[in-house]
Amino acid sequence: MHDKQFKKEMLAESAQAFRAGRMDRRTFLALCGASGVAMNAVLAGDAQAAADHVVMWNWGGQSEECHGSAIGEAFTAKTGKGLKFDTSGPLEGKIKEMVDSGNVTADVADADLFNAVSLGPTGHLEPIDYSVVSKEKTLPGYALEYGVSIILYGYAFVYDTEAYGDNPPQNWADFFDTEKFPGTRALYKWANGSLEAALMADGVAGSDLYPLDMDRALNKIQSIKDDSLYWGSGSEVHSMVVNNEVSMAIIWQNRGRNIENDTDGQYKLVNNQAMAMPGAYIVPKGNPAGAAVMEFIATAQDIPAQLALLDCLGMTPSNPEAFGQIPEDQQPYAITSAMNIDKIVYNDPEWWGKNGGDAVNAFLEAIS
Amino acid sequence: MQALNRHIHPGWLIIAPLMLMVVALYLGPILNILWLSVTDPEPGFSNYAKLTEGDALIRIVWTTVRICIITTLFSVIFGYSIAYAMVHCHQRQKTYMLTLLLVSFWISILVRTFAWLMLLGRKGLVNVTLEDIGLIAEPVAFMRNELGVLIGMVHYMIPYAVLPLLVSMQSIDQRVMDASRNLGASGSQTFWRVYLPMTMPGLVASTLLVFILSLGFYVTPAVLGGGKVLMVAEYISVQLLVTLKWGTAAMLAAIMLIGVLVMLWIMSRFMKLSTVFGGAAR
Repeated sequence: MHDKQFKKEMLAESAQAFRAGRMDRRTFLALCGASGVAMNAVLAGDAQAAADHVVMWNWGGQSEECHGSAIGEAFTAKTGKGLKFDTSGPLEGKIKEMVDSGNVTADVADADLFNAVSLGPTGHLEPIDYSVVSKEKTLPGYALEYGVSIILYGYAFVYDTEAYGDNPPQNWADFFDTEKFPGTRALYKWANGSLEAALMADGVAGSDLYPLDMDRALNKIQSIKDDSLYWGSGSEVHSMVVNNEVSMAIIWQNRGRNIENDTDGQYKLVNNQAMAMPGAYIVPKGNPAGAAVMEFIATAQDIPAQLALLDCLGMTPSNPEAFGQIPEDQQPYAITSAMNIDKIVYNDPEWWGKNGGDAVNAFLEAIS
Repeated sequence: MQALNRHIHPGWLIIAPLMLMVVALYLGPILNILWLSVTDPEPGFSNYAKLTEGDALIRIVWTTVRICIITTLFSVIFGYSIAYAMVHCHQRQKTYMLTLLLVSFWISILVRTFAWLMLLGRKGLVNVTLEDIGLIAEPVAFMRNELGVLIGMVHYMIPYAVLPLLVSMQSIDQRVMDASRNLGASGSQTFWRVYLPMTMPGLVASTLLVFILSLGFYVTPAVLGGGKVLMVAEYISVQLLVTLKWGTAAMLAAIMLIGVLVMLWIMSRFMKLSTVFGGAAR
């Protein structure tokens, strides 16, 4: 596996050198021959093309298709460069490992903005070039040195209308009130969103959440522990809800529409007090496509790309100019739509970047 | 050369490349992990000291060990009965049983885990049926708790328990049992005092195999435990991928490794391990 990777990279690099005139044709072909592709002109061409695209590192599935149509096509039209995908999921540990090993194969990771805070200062990320990328095309505070928020996703909740149809839960306080609303809850296992929801349920105002009062949040979470399940992935909570295992669940708001459809409206999304999470693009240090990736990030900020991502993935635009153009049928599910924007609270990537690791561990210890 | 041959069997030369590969590709990374556990984030034993600060890590290790012991116990008991039945039934039935066993052995762990949710979940086949015939009013919580994890793990581990036992039972000379009966022992005496001791190497082998494999379980507890059953493997993965505490992860991995080695060592005090792994009892 690594061998193949090495060959691919060597070829890509020599192809770049060849194109730039730093390597003559004969040496390039010899290198291709040495790595066993000389007889295959197609592969050599492929290696040459390696310098002509950016590689997006994301979670695959639908998002591969959607990023291709929403951003990739416009990017190719603008720059002539292609878009390829690595769908292995850019978790913080994997980014760190990739950069530390000196074997960087991705140009841009579809990650969280707090990753930019934790991985940037340790030298694992390239700074964002704000002469190409715009600080105005995202929310204030979400354009950081090592990452820029492209979309927002939210932690909202769904409830079972058959259980609480007459008197539906309105906010996090109701979510955590198992006496008034008996039934099983599902919370996010990696702490994010769950902690903030617990604090708001305990009476903290949405604007005063940070720095998080961990003890207070964990107490609140433990108070409903016997009635709680914890999910680790979007598909897991989806199946918990669809199989009626829980009567309320914290979910990523972009799943809300699918859940409402899959349950024929039995479960309903509540966006009140939803927490807006800045999903960000970050660039691993020493990325193969170099500065060209900034052009790609800038393309993703454009209004058409923003609206296309919303349409395809349910990810809410972070570019304020796009807020007003959210179509009617998407309004209930987009957390920055006119319908929801006054009800939401904002995640602080600085706090999570600095304290996230300890917070996740404390949370895991509290629930297990 | 002759002198060299006297000390080193020439066979070693033939397997030397393979040995070197094992050392480079297997021992190397393991040593790296051990090294990480005493150097990240700072040199010293601060990672190991975390075990004594607070009860969180100890609790995770204890949960893991407890679940593994229970899993091993049930897997080996069920495995023993299945292997016993397979050895003593007709060839035809034995072929059917072996086929079923191997089919379940080959099915992916993810599929087998989610299959349990379909069967025993809140809206699963069993709960719905029981509710429909009026036996229960509320669904029984089989899944998303420790019971669910145990059901999933025992089910997954039974083939691993059966196979070593089957080999061991097949190699037993049936005439020994006949002799025992002939000398006046009852059926159960023959089982407890003749048959069981003779299958002991197989029993130890399957116990070790199941226990050691169980220690590394990740998918089953994560899915069937509903997030509340945190085992070491999952915790290690979180420390590696999410919280970036690689030192803690390496420390836990090292503890698991040392634990397994110590277990093998204790075992070797009581019996020849080579018989467990198929060698001759010398």
